[in-house]
Amino acid sequence: MKTLFAFTKKEFFEVRRTGKLLIIMLLFLIFGIMNPATAKIMPVIMDMLAESMTESGVVIKDIEVNAMTSWAQFFKNISTILIIFILLFSDVFTKEYKTGTLQLVLTKGLARHKVVIAKTLSILSFWTIGYIFSFSVTYGYNEYFWDNSIMNNLFSSVVLWWLFGVCVISLIIFFSSFLQNNIAVLLSTGGVIILMYLLNVISKLKPYIPVKLININPLLASTEEIDAYTKAIIVTIIFSIVCIASSIPILNKRQF
Amino acid sequence: MNMLTIKNLKKSFGSKEVLCGLNLSIPKNSIFGFVGKNGAGKTTTMKIILGLIKADSGTLYVMDKEVVFGQPNINRYIGYLPDVPEFYPYMTAKEYLKFCGEISGMDKKDVSARSNELLELVGLANEHSRIKGFSRGMKQRLGIAQALLNRPKLLICDEPTSALDPIGRKEILDILVTLKKQTTVLFSTHILSDVERICTDVAFLNNGKIAIQGTVTELQNKRDSNEFIIETERKEDLNNLIGAFNNLNLTDKNSLIFNGTEHEFFSFINYIADKKISVQKIERIEPTLESLFIEVTT
Ligand SMILES: Nc1ncnc2c1ncn2[C@@H]1O[C@H](COP(=O)(O)OP(=O)(O)O)[C@@H](O)[C@H]1O
Ligand SMILES: [Mg+2]
Repeated sequence: MKTLFAFTKKEFFEVRRTGKLLIIMLLFLIFGIMNPATAKIMPVIMDMLAESMTESGVVIKDIEVNAMTSWAQFFKNISTILIIFILLFSDVFTKEYKTGTLQLVLTKGLARHKVVIAKTLSILSFWTIGYIFSFSVTYGYNEYFWDNSIMNNLFSSVVLWWLFGVCVISLIIFFSSFLQNNIAVLLSTGGVIILMYLLNVISKLKPYIPVKLININPLLASTEEIDAYTKAIIVTIIFSIVCIASSIPILNKRQF
Repeated sequence: MNMLTIKNLKKSFGSKEVLCGLNLSIPKNSIFGFVGKNGAGKTTTMKIILGLIKADSGTLYVMDKEVVFGQPNINRYIGYLPDVPEFYPYMTAKEYLKFCGEISGMDKKDVSARSNELLELVGLANEHSRIKGFSRGMKQRLGIAQALLNRPKLLICDEPTSALDPIGRKEILDILVTLKKQTTVLFSTHILSDVERICTDVAFLNNGKIAIQGTVTELQNKRDSNEFIIETERKEDLNNLIGAFNNLNLTDKNSLIFNGTEHEFFSFINYIADKKISVQKIERIEPTLESLFIEVTT
């Protein structure tokens, strides 16, 4: 337990020392601010557009901006943020394989499963902390400018998107247990997500596929309620646990 | 008693058989030279001992405990210095040792004291910059410090001197010698003069097997050398001698190598005395590990 804590501590230290922490915190901060900012700027842009449009005979009515506009931005942009986050963390295993730093750690008697657990804990923590940070920033601005209470199922939607992020992270960990470089890890993870989208066209499977979690428009529009997502939630949780758990025996067999 | 015993170890990479029935035993408190050409399988053997790679067959015992691949149970008795040691570049030497102490479950106070002591030993005590900027030699020295941190019973060093300049090499060898009382050292190399300088025991790895193993003095004496080098005042005497004896060879430096029995050598000396040949030098050629190594590996 003490050694697990020590290795986890090193993971956090690494993210801080190498400046990765600053990058992700800025990333999540900018993202958090951008959503309400875009919503605020939108009428101005629309006004400018409208002037030139009226000349060509098209009339744009004043659009109404509210918390909904800002949250729509949040759910639109979060995929980009997740991709950047994954790019930043895709090499947490592979870099250690390539340089041989992990090899030395293992010769000191650190059990291999602790490597998986420590790295999983650290990536999940940064995803969670960053995500809550962004959410709070957007929530704060939205509350200040408009009114968050007009939103339906806001918290459920936010948690669903977070859970999808967890699922992608678990894929990164799974592929890192046997692949050699982070490009291969990223491509394989991307491949699985694409496969999920392909399976998603089969209507019988649709409620079970993890990508259901990020299709939150029906939830926000209240055309669907959270129970429509229950199956996908259960599948995603089990899938993530299986990914992470199975990377332990795979790493145990790995040759260094 | 043996520190390490390896029995019938086999390992292939694909169709390439690297180790084919290696047997090795390393006596306690020896400084053991593990010699082999590049690609002979030295690193592979060491990684198997450390449980980093899996043997195809064979058994290994460290302090009478069996080595199981992927199981770190015996690792706490072993310190390892890899051929190219790499550490977390964003840490300082001190921070790295602290981290090593924590993951090997050492006591906090002990780690701190031991770190200082070892950094002093390897000459990094006043180095406060991050490992990122360390030279090859500094990394090698930090490598030794981290390997010794938990007071290992067996220290495994993979070619610790190969990439260093003569001064760096001497520094590392001097450190290894000082460890003799505390630990058993297994170190691989292809530099035989290093072995002669510090090792008590040596084994030659060739074609996936141990070609020969013994104490250094044993092996040095194994080649009962009756080779002598002879130089004469006048060049024409050399040809004269070659004509008279068939166990003489001319070297490129206008000297002769005599290789024969003691009896033959005495008649050779008689001949020189009879013919009144002025001799500049007659010297017995010391047997070297190098000549033995070349003999057993070619
Ligand atoms: N992971 C690996 N995959 C394939 N071949 C390998 C691997 N590791 C080592 N080898 C091969 O095994 C042989 C022995 O390598 P090594 O143990 O590194 O030799 P040494 O350390 O004595 O120079 C070499 O021919 C090398 O190419
Ligand atoms: Mg090697």
